[in-house]
Amino acid sequence: MPVKEFKLPDVGEGVAEGELVTWLVSPGDRVAEDQPVAEVETDKALVEVPSRYDGVVEELFVEEGDIVPVGDVIISFRVGEDGEGDEADDSGAAHEESETESGDAEPAADDEAVESEPAEPEAPSGRTFAPPSARRLARELGVDIAAVDGSGPGGRIGEADVRAHAEDDSGGTGSGAGGADEAPTPTPTDVGSGGRKSAVKKRGDDGSTGSSATTAAAAGAPEPAGRETTLATPATRKVARELGVDVDDVPTDETRDGEAFVTGETVRAYAEALESGATDSSSEPEAADASASADAAGADTGAAPEPSAPGATDETVPYRGVRRTIGKQMERSVYTAPHVSHHDTAEVDALVEAREELKPRAEEQGVSLTYMPFVMKAIVAGLKAYPYLNSELREDDEEIVLKGDYNLGIAVATDAGLMVPVVEDVDEKGLFELAAEVRDLASRARERKLKPAEMKGGTFSITNFGAIGGEYATPIINYPETAILGLGAIEERPVVRDGEVVAAPTLPLSLSIDHRVIDGAVAAEFANTVMEHLEHPLLLLTQ
Amino acid sequence: MVVGDIATGTEVLVIGAGPGGYVAAIRAAQEGLDTTLVEKDAYGGACLNRGCIPSKALITGSGLAHEAGNAESMGIHADPAVDMGKMVEWKDGVVDRLTGGVEKLCKANGVNLVPGTASFVDERTARVAHGGQGQGSESIEFEHAIVATGSRPIQIPGFDFAEDHVWSSADALDADSVPDRLGIVGGGYIGMELATTYAKLGADVTVVEMLDDILDPYEDDVKRIVRKRAEELGVEFHFGEGASEWSEGADGGYLLHTETEEGEESTYGVDKVLVAVGRQPVTDGLDLENAGIETDDRGFIETDDRTRTAVEHVHAVGDVAGDPMLAHVASKEGIVAAEVIAGEPAALDQQAIPAAVFTDPEIGTVGLTEAEAEDAGFDPVVGEMPFNASGRAMTTGHTEGFVRLVADDETGFVLGAQIVGPEASELIAEAALAIEMGATLEDVAATVHTHPTLAEAVMEAAENARGQAIHTLNR
Amino acid sequence: MSETQNLTVVQAVRDGLYTEMREDDDVLVLGQDVGKNGGVFRATEGLFDEFGGDRVVDTPLAESGIVGAAVGMAAMGLKPVPEIQFSGFMYPGFDQIVSHMARFRTRSRGRFNLPMTLRAPYGGGIRAPEHHSESKEAFYAHEAGLKVVIPSTPYDAKGLLAASIRDPDPVIFLEPKLIYRAFRGEVPEEPYTVPIGEAVTRREGGDVAVFTYGAMTRPTLEAAETLAEEGIDCEVVDLRTVSPLDREAIVEAFESTGRAVVVHEAPKTGGLAGEITAIIQEEALLYQEAPVKRVTGFDVPYPLYALEDYYLPSATRIEEGIREAVEF
Repeated sequence: MPVKEFKLPDVGEGVAEGELVTWLVSPGDRVAEDQPVAEVETDKALVEVPSRYDGVVEELFVEEGDIVPVGDVIISFRVGEDGEGDEADDSGAAHEESETESGDAEPAADDEAVESEPAEPEAPSGRTFAPPSARRLARELGVDIAAVDGSGPGGRIGEADVRAHAEDDSGGTGSGAGGADEAPTPTPTDVGSGGRKSAVKKRGDDGSTGSSATTAAAAGAPEPAGRETTLATPATRKVARELGVDVDDVPTDETRDGEAFVTGETVRAYAEALESGATDSSSEPEAADASASADAAGADTGAAPEPSAPGATDETVPYRGVRRTIGKQMERSVYTAPHVSHHDTAEVDALVEAREELKPRAEEQGVSLTYMPFVMKAIVAGLKAYPYLNSELREDDEEIVLKGDYNLGIAVATDAGLMVPVVEDVDEKGLFELAAEVRDLASRARERKLKPAEMKGGTFSITNFGAIGGEYATPIINYPETAILGLGAIEERPVVRDGEVVAAPTLPLSLSIDHRVIDGAVAAEFANTVMEHLEHPLLLLTQ
Repeated sequence: MVVGDIATGTEVLVIGAGPGGYVAAIRAAQEGLDTTLVEKDAYGGACLNRGCIPSKALITGSGLAHEAGNAESMGIHADPAVDMGKMVEWKDGVVDRLTGGVEKLCKANGVNLVPGTASFVDERTARVAHGGQGQGSESIEFEHAIVATGSRPIQIPGFDFAEDHVWSSADALDADSVPDRLGIVGGGYIGMELATTYAKLGADVTVVEMLDDILDPYEDDVKRIVRKRAEELGVEFHFGEGASEWSEGADGGYLLHTETEEGEESTYGVDKVLVAVGRQPVTDGLDLENAGIETDDRGFIETDDRTRTAVEHVHAVGDVAGDPMLAHVASKEGIVAAEVIAGEPAALDQQAIPAAVFTDPEIGTVGLTEAEAEDAGFDPVVGEMPFNASGRAMTTGHTEGFVRLVADDETGFVLGAQIVGPEASELIAEAALAIEMGATLEDVAATVHTHPTLAEAVMEAAENARGQAIHTLNR
Repeated sequence: MSETQNLTVVQAVRDGLYTEMREDDDVLVLGQDVGKNGGVFRATEGLFDEFGGDRVVDTPLAESGIVGAAVGMAAMGLKPVPEIQFSGFMYPGFDQIVSHMARFRTRSRGRFNLPMTLRAPYGGGIRAPEHHSESKEAFYAHEAGLKVVIPSTPYDAKGLLAASIRDPDPVIFLEPKLIYRAFRGEVPEEPYTVPIGEAVTRREGGDVAVFTYGAMTRPTLEAAETLAEEGIDCEVVDLRTVSPLDREAIVEAFESTGRAVVVHEAPKTGGLAGEITAIIQEEALLYQEAPVKRVTGFDVPYPLYALEDYYLPSATRIEEGIREAVEF
């Protein structure tokens, strides 16, 4: 039975070592897969390390209190006590070590098979004491008759012995009868690619037909249509080919013959949009990189349960396109930045009045004035005072960039999911201008007509879930920014004034910050500043 | 007469319809494969037409005549006259029935029969020449092929089979009369069977053998019994002598000249010389190289335990594929070849192959001798039952010989058997089954055998090996 | 309960003739060597003994006469199945075929129709001298009033022959002699038909539609299997009837893949591959991802047999053609 070593896994991005705080098992203990065996503290958190095997603890290589570099062996297990050597599947991180370990498993299983020969004299000169029917069965089941334990007198091998051996060999020795010769395979009769992936570049793949446009959706590039069938003249297809674009990805409303149809123009427009989107996505990772964020899950390593099969009444919806891109962005943000949410409430009587006063004037100019422009200005005021909330952390360069612009992203809920178009230079624009721009961006976002550039370059984001309803939330920062402000619904709520509880319009604020860059105190002070400017709108004139 | 060459496609092409070929063809057809069997001569091959069957027929005939004429002790007085021509005719009738039977079986199983001589054009195409009368030839495209072209008697320099008085074994089985004096070159099983036959038919038989005893692969005590009996029948043996040439004799007969290794010469007067020094594989005319197949230095086609040649989809079975050159081996290989082609997990995995020599007395052997068992690393235990202790043997008047079983002492597994005596060729089957099944001495001894039979001797030998024999003294 | 037999293509033709002649007394066979000799390819073996010389007629060596006589018989209500010994010898009867066989119905404004089926072994690959390897089905496809049917399996051979014999109008039934005896297939003993004008999908696949017929079906399927290993999944459509072509099947197969290859042994120029290409571009241009690739015989007189293997589309050449269509 082989002994498997276990190395300290990566528990968070950039974490190089951890302190082994406590051992939860001792040598000789039987452990099950996923059972925690140790507690390890990294820079930020105390993490439980689960076992990857069913087996018995063989040896502990590290003492409590030791600092262990990631990748060092900390514990070993003896697996296969029950004749089974199990390895848990690492469904999250694909650690290289799992590959070498599974490589080890196979020869070990083979060795087991050979070692389990009967204690009888080794059959000299190839004698097998088994009737012809047992020999044929062995060949049929792909079992080496010489390796079978015979239960008959003198070690004679019967059919039952052959079957038992075949079942035991679940590790898939795959050694055919007679060693060098393999059992003859029957003539294949079925036709068709048998599930092999087609090598032909064609329509009909899932949404991600290899165009890297999927990665950049929430951050800027136009999102590919990902259709199965698209009609186009051969001339159009030529254009698409030359531009390196898949006709199935070109968004279009035109149809012919019941199928989507694209023209050369549409193809060209899409290609251009892609280009401008692609050039901005400098630090945009590939979608495949999401596994790195999965690594940061730390304690989740190896513990993800098998997804259960969909039930009879379940509906299965494809997870791709914009939805998936958003998902990946969220994952990335949350697993990179330690989020802290700071909640407060502004009493916005004065703000309500101010808006009431300005609304008619705005309408004269064809602008619908919401609270958003006021909030945006208030935020700018806060950011000017506390520039760390208007920044970006570049860990590789080991620097924090305090941004000089005030580009606020405004989150918009669309059918396809959350989109965050950016209003640039909010500090330089007037209220009405901001109102108009926000309205324009929001409607275009819903129509999916945003240009990729319009979703890039933000330095701080606002999410106005209050427009739908709700008080507080814990918004997720829009990577790679370092803060986001969530706005609850402006409603009359009870407040205490002069010792009395009265109803007043209040605006709940939920500020999430990246605690690597911003501490709670600073967050609170920023929030206070923003609230001040909301509660005393005249202060906005001083910006 | 049709312009052009339209190839016939087939899944399995079997070349040769002997015990290897026709069995393979029938099995392949039973497995649902489209099978074509090409034979240039008679169905059944050498075994049916010129070997196994005719020789056993004449052995039976000659044996009957001899038995009847030598049974005075039983109160039977007879002096049978043998009409050789008639015996041969009867033998031909048996052969024809069997040959016809093979053809019918093939057809009944859906095998396509193509008379003609086959040769390879490439590794997927063969040409079959239909023989004389301007019949032309046809192309056959095959997915798999089984070569079963068999063997022929070896001809030695100076003794051309074309000569009337120089016999091959085939000629000896087709004689229209019994020669007065028969010289036999070669003391192997063919030479000995025919020596016994012709001696019983009244010929003066002289056997000339290069080695210093007959039946080379058998144990001394086995050979001795057969040799002594042959001598009793009047056969003269000359060992250490090789045939060098023949010459015409003054009396209208011939002289067989021999030489020892040292150069000593001898001469024997004979009317016919039977040359039975062995058989060689038949591959000439097959154009094997067109299919990418080579033969070894003895002319055999090399095959693996699935009967495949160096070209995976071409198999070879029977005498052409090497030793042992036995008809039942050819049939077993034929079945394995057909099953392998059909995708079954078949293989040549037999633990032992029985063999028989139809001399007087008969010999039947299977598996390891005592010496071979030791060489193989076993610690052998041996049990014997002589036929002179067998009640049934006594009632047949033939009590020479014995049954010997060789087993592994520690486990009791039966490893081999050697039987000399009456019906040895039949009795050996039980031992072969015991070996294949992995039976122990206890299994054989514990199996009830009918009394009174010769087969009981097998059970008794097993008991003897265990020290529990009833009818003999235990070793 | 119907029995099936395991027959070669030529045996299936023979069985088809036998079955139809047994079912319908008006069916008769005429041609060179078809009677007492049983046909040079054994296609009419045993029919003479079974049905007699009135229904299995040995003719002189006169193709024009054979076709003409059949036209007359058909006009008068019989169902003749004339045989021309090799399709390369149909030319002396060409006038009868196009001027009369094809036009009787229109000429008589429907008063006369000719339920006749002209059978001829056709195609190359059999190492024959001149005239014996022709593949000129295009000549007859170009003549309205004629149907041209080309089976590729024993089952289709008997079924399509029966359908042709029962068809009230003339059919040219070309039998690919290369595969006359190449393999066996299950053929029901009972009478049955396979519809004329209907193609059949021999292999399903999503990457490219390969259209073929006759003896070329086998190397095409071979090429498809080889390409499957490379991840190229071919849909192989056996047209079975080349006139009228199964337009629907062609367009449907093309639309589901966007790529097509046509394989026939007949020469390229004026061959049916051009017709199929035109159908595709007329009806499914917008689905087209690559030009239609034609893998055909060359525009030369059929070569002597030393070069035959270079002329006929081989599995390798077909593979290359399919790859071209797929990699465009």
